[in-house]
Order: sequence, then structure tokens, then C-alpha cells
Amino acid sequence: MRKQKAGAIVIKSFALLVVFGTAYQAMAQDAKTTYPSMAPIEQYRMDRTAEIPLARSAAPESVSGDAEVLVLGSHGFETAVKGKNGFVCIVERSWTSAPDTDFWNPKVRTPICYNAAAARSVLLRNIQRTDLILAGRTKAQVDEAIVAAVAKKELPAMEPGAMCYMMSKQGYGGDSVKHWPPHVMFYFSQTDPATWGAGLPGSPILAMSDDHEHLTMFAIGVQRWSDGTEPR
Amino acid sequence: MTRNQIHSIFLSAFVLVAALIASRPAAAQDPQQPYPSMAPVEQYLMDRDAEIALARSAAPDAISHDASVIVFTRHGYETAVQGKNGWVCWVGRGWMAMFDHPEFWNPKIRAADCLNPPAARFILPYAFKRTELLLAGHSKPEVIAAIKSAIEKKELPALEPGSLCYMMSKASYLTDNGGHNLPHLMFYGTAKDDAAWGANLTNPPVLSVNYWYISAQSYPQLKSFPPLSVFLVGVDKWSDGTLAPSM
Repeated sequence: MRKQKAGAIVIKSFALLVVFGTAYQAMAQDAKTTYPSMAPIEQYRMDRTAEIPLARSAAPESVSGDAEVLVLGSHGFETAVKGKNGFVCIVERSWTSAPDTDFWNPKVRTPICYNAAAARSVLLRNIQRTDLILAGRTKAQVDEAIVAAVAKKELPAMEPGAMCYMMSKQGYGGDSVKHWPPHVMFYFSQTDPATWGAGLPGSPILAMSDDHEHLTMFAIGVQRWSDGTEPR
Repeated sequence: MTRNQIHSIFLSAFVLVAALIASRPAAAQDPQQPYPSMAPVEQYLMDRDAEIALARSAAPDAISHDASVIVFTRHGYETAVQGKNGWVCWVGRGWMAMFDHPEFWNPKIRAADCLNPPAARFILPYAFKRTELLLAGHSKPEVIAAIKSAIEKKELPALEPGSLCYMMSKASYLTDNGGHNLPHLMFYGTAKDDAAWGANLTNPPVLSVNYWYISAQSYPQLKSFPPLSVFLVGVDKWSDGTLAPSM
């Protein structure tokens, strides 16, 4: 999901996760970018043997050890490791996981482990978005294609229980938000953020809603990185 | 971590929080039956104003200020404050734990909890029925049978997606063990979600346990209940914004 396209960002003061809040706010900003266009594809790719452990680092080994792993090929994401537990780990790139200012930033690396329900819903959108980007489509064209596919149900709605882990100590969120704090995310089809108390002062939950994609994401900070160490 | 190991962790404290504080020193009690039966009802009661304040403290003021508040009386729970945002804050007693939980009758338990609207619509009817029957002197097997019957007759609701609650009160007493309390969120899901969420694995940020029982051995009829899990995600601050101890 391209978080920067969120239609209604529900972020106010966020006492618990200042960095987290800053990160999501940055997602919503329209600012000048130092990356006006796509770099050569090679700059977005990485060594396969490095990409696999980076993808797995999104979740504790007990989750990611048996997960499927996708890596970025020249035409899109491809399976590098078959999984056994339904989770899918991936290192997402700037066009799905960075603020607008970093949309084409080739340094962005966002490790995520999706559970099976999310892999069958959210991840499909990001894979399609990546396919279109690598096929040379513009941001606007990609957005339009994804929204149309959701509307036509060619891309499925969020499945109940769809969630992901983003607990990697590594990765790079972009120049504006270099690193995300460890968190988990939950995905719902268009849900009122107030239902979860998200974004309210003191709430540990952040929400972003994308009206066009009929998607609401809730993020909750967790206290440890995937390797068990604490960020504070 | 095996399911048995998880259950043994949960045996030592109240609901899911046990897993987070089990490493801390436990009170000197018979671990099998520290509270074998219900104490006099007065021991479960508290001052109404204090209970309202405790209930609200489960969530940040931005949520709980406009929430409904229900309080426990000797006849059951009743509405003390009518809210405006669909949330319901209350203070659970020990018998809201699993039926075979060793602190089921612990009169010190005060679990401040703010339920979001879907959770309130789902959880509270069960809580009210359980409380009403227990206060009327029914045994646990009788209560279980009555709830099962009510479920079958659809007198009790089904789980709604997105049901969650805040348990971030600094003043809760959740267990005799450890620090007695930790701030967390709880999500309600079906039992099959355990593996789907990666809960209860090594080094997890998500823990889960069966809502109905620790082990179905004590009350086998619970095995026929609709699968229901409670998922816990610890958070690092109390509802008042102060930093909580690290888990």
C-alpha cells in the first residue's frame, strides 16, 4: 500500500510514538523531492543473499524462519524461498513504502512480513504496483490502475485478520524518515479510525485511511525489534 | 513455545498479562487453588466514584472521557455514565478470566478496560450474563451450560471484526504476580488466528490465549464453545502518558 496516498491521514498528537508519528506525518506531506524520477532499476535491486535475510528481519525468527521470501527482480517481485507458515516476507521499495519525497529514492528498503491474510490482500496490491512501476508507468497511472482494479474486484478486499510485522532494526525508510520504530500493522476495508481510538491524544494506535482503495491501516508500536533488543 | 508452555505461563497470572510479567517474583500462594471460592460480595465492590475513575483510566482521556461507564454492584453491572462515542469503560473482576483461572475468585482483581464499540457489543452481554449467574450463586458448570444454551439460541452475539480494548490503566490490579499490571491492548479473534498472527512464538510482540479456558480438562464443555482468542499487544505507556516498565 502506498501510504503517501492515504486520503485521510488521521494523525494528531501521538505521545507514545513520537518518531512513529513523525514518520507517518512525513508520509502525508507534499514536499519537494530530490528524487524526481525513477533511477536505473539496478539501484533498487540488491544482492539476493542480502535481501533474503533483510526481508526476514521484519519479524522474529519464529515467524520469518518458515516464511516465504520475495525478492525484487528486474520485472517485479519473485519468490526466492518457499514458505511453510503462510507468512510472506519482503523488502518493499520506495514506491510502496516511503513518503512522497522519497517516492523514487533508490535507497529505501522496508522489510515487512505479511501474514497469510495480508499476503492475499494487501501484498497483492503492492506487487501489482511494483509490476506497473517497473513496466514504466507513472505514479498517477499506477494509482489509477490500482484503484480501478480494487473497484473491479480484480484486487481483493482486505481479509479479516490481515496484519504484518515491521520490526526490523535494519532497512531504510527514506531521507525524511530514515527508520521506522518497530511496529505491527492491521488492515481493514474502510474502517472509521475512531473505532480503534486511533490518532487520538495518548492513543498507541495510528491509522491511515485510503478512501480510493477502501483501505484502513492501523499501526501499533511494539517494544522490541525482531531480534529481541529494545529501541529505547 | 508449545501450547502447554503457554498455558503454564498463563496459569500464573491474570489473562494474557501473565506472560509479560511471569518473570517477576510471585506472591507466596498455593498455585493450584489460591482462591477456591467466591469471597463475600462486598470484597468485590468498590466506591462508585472511584470505580468510574478507575474504569476511565483504562484508556487515554481522549477516548474514555466520552465513553459510557458501567460499574459493578451487588446485583451485577449497571450503567453509571451514558457515553457519546460508543466506547464502554468498566472494571472487570476476577471471574472475567478463563473459567479455570486460579485467580478467578481473587477479590483484589480490578481490571480497568475500555472496549471499543464492536467489542462492547460483543463482550459485555457475555460479561453481564456470567456475572449475573455467578452472583446468583450458580456453579461454574451451571454458568457454562447457561452461556452455551444462550449462544445456541443466539441470545448472545457473535464476534464482530475489529473488536479491541484498551487496558492502559496504571491503577489496575490484574494478578497477584509480579508488578500486578502492565499496559496493553487486547484484540478479540477466532482461535484459528493464533498461528495466523504469529502469536505465542519465540520473542513475539503478540500473545494470545483462549478466552474460555486455560485447559479444557476442568470444564470439557467449553471445548464446544465458539472459538475465541484474545490477542495482546503490550504498549510502552500508561493511559496518563507516563512510561511503563519495560516488558
